[in-house]
Amino acid sequence: MSGAPSAEHRGFVAHAKHLLLLGAFGGLLYYVTRAVPEVHGGLWTIAAIGFLLLAGTLTSELLAPLGLPHLTGYLLAGIASGPYVLRLVDEHTVKNLSPVNTLALSLIALTGGAELDLAAMRRASRGLAWSMLVQCVLVLVLVTAVFFAARPLIPFARSLPMGPLFGVALLWGALAVTRSPSATLGILSQTRASGPLATFTLAFVMVSDVVVVVLLASVFAIVRPLIDPAASFSLDSFVTLGHDLFGSVALGTTLGLVIAAYLRLVNRQMLVVLLVLGFGASTILDYLQFDSLLTFMVAGFIVRNMSKQGHKLIKYIEQTGTVVYVVFFATAGADLDVPLLRQLWPVALLLAGSRGIITFAGGRLSGHLADDPPTLRRWAWSGLVSQAGLALGLSGLVAREFPGIGTSFRALAIATVAVNEMVGPVLFKLALDRSGETSPVRAPSFPTVPPPVPEGSTVD
Amino acid sequence: MGLLVLSYLGSFLVGGRTVRGAGLPSGVEYVALGFVLGPQALDLVGGDMLASFEPVVQVALGWLAFAVGLDFAYAGDRRARVGSIALATFSVLLTGTAVAAVTWVAVRRLHVGTTPLEQILLAGGIGVACSETTRHAVRWVLERHTARGPLAERLNEIANTEDLLPLLAVAVLFALAPATQVPTRTPLLDWPAVTVGLGLLLGAGAALLVRSELKLDETWAILFGVSLIAIGTTARLGLSTLTASFFAGLAVSMLSRHGKELRAMVAPTERPVLLPALLLAGAHLDFHAAPKLLWIAALAIATRFVAKVVFGWVLAATSKSARKAGSLVGLSLMSSGALAISIGLAFALRFPGVVGDTVLVVAALSATVGEFVGPVRLRNALQRAGEIDTAVPAAQKAPA
Repeated sequence: MSGAPSAEHRGFVAHAKHLLLLGAFGGLLYYVTRAVPEVHGGLWTIAAIGFLLLAGTLTSELLAPLGLPHLTGYLLAGIASGPYVLRLVDEHTVKNLSPVNTLALSLIALTGGAELDLAAMRRASRGLAWSMLVQCVLVLVLVTAVFFAARPLIPFARSLPMGPLFGVALLWGALAVTRSPSATLGILSQTRASGPLATFTLAFVMVSDVVVVVLLASVFAIVRPLIDPAASFSLDSFVTLGHDLFGSVALGTTLGLVIAAYLRLVNRQMLVVLLVLGFGASTILDYLQFDSLLTFMVAGFIVRNMSKQGHKLIKYIEQTGTVVYVVFFATAGADLDVPLLRQLWPVALLLAGSRGIITFAGGRLSGHLADDPPTLRRWAWSGLVSQAGLALGLSGLVAREFPGIGTSFRALAIATVAVNEMVGPVLFKLALDRSGETSPVRAPSFPTVPPPVPEGSTVD
Repeated sequence: MGLLVLSYLGSFLVGGRTVRGAGLPSGVEYVALGFVLGPQALDLVGGDMLASFEPVVQVALGWLAFAVGLDFAYAGDRRARVGSIALATFSVLLTGTAVAAVTWVAVRRLHVGTTPLEQILLAGGIGVACSETTRHAVRWVLERHTARGPLAERLNEIANTEDLLPLLAVAVLFALAPATQVPTRTPLLDWPAVTVGLGLLLGAGAALLVRSELKLDETWAILFGVSLIAIGTTARLGLSTLTASFFAGLAVSMLSRHGKELRAMVAPTERPVLLPALLLAGAHLDFHAAPKLLWIAALAIATRFVAKVVFGWVLAATSKSARKAGSLVGLSLMSSGALAISIGLAFALRFPGVVGDTVLVVAALSATVGEFVGPVRLRNALQRAGEIDTAVPAAQKAPA
């Protein structure tokens, strides 16, 4: 027998150690939260961020041998720590963590834009256009039909007359068209995948953000008189939408040019610059009522395609982003309403499942119509299943606009998005692995890389 | 936003491979700027805003203490010698006790503080804040003048090993007024033990985790995660965030086989975190917090001055190169800075009012006086000891 333990054995020991330490850290926080009442509101948020960071990182490592994406680990860690399971992180703390979400979303959008190569998009434009058309129309129409058909199972839809029911079903269909840029970026960041599937999914998801906003404005205009008899057909929302879209693109372009100039001329302290952008620019965009996701996406796109600084930007965000992403997704997990999911799971599963099947069919159909390469024909649908923040945000908007059905609609949306949020990333990672696009090169490990990045040095 | 911009400007101006660069070694100019912007001067940063910054301050203080713990007893890549650790311990005990004793007498005579507990906290807090020497100032002079020699090494090692006792004392002082209702048999022993134990346990956990071959970003996540847990937990328990974070850093440094790499990883983050913390400390300064505050500060600083001179004599008795530096060699260690002001700020947050504000003001004034005395005397001492080549102007020398 050889004295040296095998890699498998070492891996098992490391995982056991991680599990034990995670339990110990969790136990400590569990004891503190139970034994000592919180008297100083904001400060427990600090410990909560720390634990979500640690638990997310360790859980993702523990799940990695099962082939599950890191993102699933972050979500599970969040669910376990959250207000409905261990209560290490309560509702108040989850609310306090919203600035982290703002930062994460801006970084996600910036990376997403910076990953979009204009030349690659031009090459894939035919496939993208077909996919966008087929996925939007098919999902909108068929998911609306499924919702309509499933109305006996949906408590708040059961008693609705035909007109309002159709309106609510159409809203549900529009909601189903949304995808998750954050989940896509999260998986691509972990797998470092490159290839037609990765490029297609990223481009599709980013562009669909704009499409969904326009689609939803149109649907709102149609369904408003159906749901609320006192309302009349109005195109006012398109004025707001135009202001929102053009303003976001203009500001994003300016921001992108500024970032590119900074990277070229100064190229220092990007960590702090990204934080300033994430917090500061988001606050300004919020004030101006522009779409921050679109603005940052355009900024990243400009840096990538109108300068030679795109790779620098991506590398800087990668250095900063992982830590922020862990907290972002773990917080999303903690925010997940588990009791609601337990209550609505059969109908949520039905709606999420039917959306998945329709997306799969749409992927096959558009691949055939656009004459896509075999990888895309087979797997293009897989990255389009995930839903997260955007869908939840829109469901909140529906709840505000249509208070009569809003709360119940949002509850069902939360439950359905939860299913898509858990299943989607797993499917996408599986597809990237199967299509051979996952990078075989592991991310640099500590301490094999030179740790300090001296101030003022460039990244390349 | 303002803090982020300041952090950016600060790290931009001061950042570099060495601690040299624009700005003073103790960073008191940022404290002064904070004071000017704060509620006692221009009121651009109001009291309400300061209160809302508390989580940011706690994180900054905790991370700084974690970095100090990680770097404790190391002068560069070398471990400090036992002799230096013993001298540093003696220096801290002598200075801290002397300052605390004189302050205690002063606050009793001047009737500052309404209860004996307040007076003990006041004297103890000022003693602790005035006891240490900032390692930045010593490194700053050594690098600026490319000093080499036994005295330079000894002073650098002393400055790098003086942080342990003041932070332990902070834990004890915080235990004098427990903030939570958790019953303990002997709070004065139990709470400091919990503080240190918590830090050591969390640090040991982090050290065990970074032993595995993790990705670089996962290593960052673990260090940040553990540090934030230490900060949040101690804040909830009303314990010393600084002490727990310091011991967490110390445990990581001692138990991890990648201590050197971890120190190199964390060191560049220190300055960007430090500057906003100093600015906020400045904004918290209230020179009218207690009656006769400036008298108390003057007495404390004078006592620190005398104690450092006396320590210099002890140093001279044990070292030939220190003898060559003259009888005022102890004043080379007059500089205080980041840690002293952090302790002051921690007191201001934990004991708002007379106690906390007075400790913070004295810490800031002591750092300011130290800025005028310490670097000058250190340069003078090293020149006398023949460890600075006076023939070559400092500006022409390559950085260390």
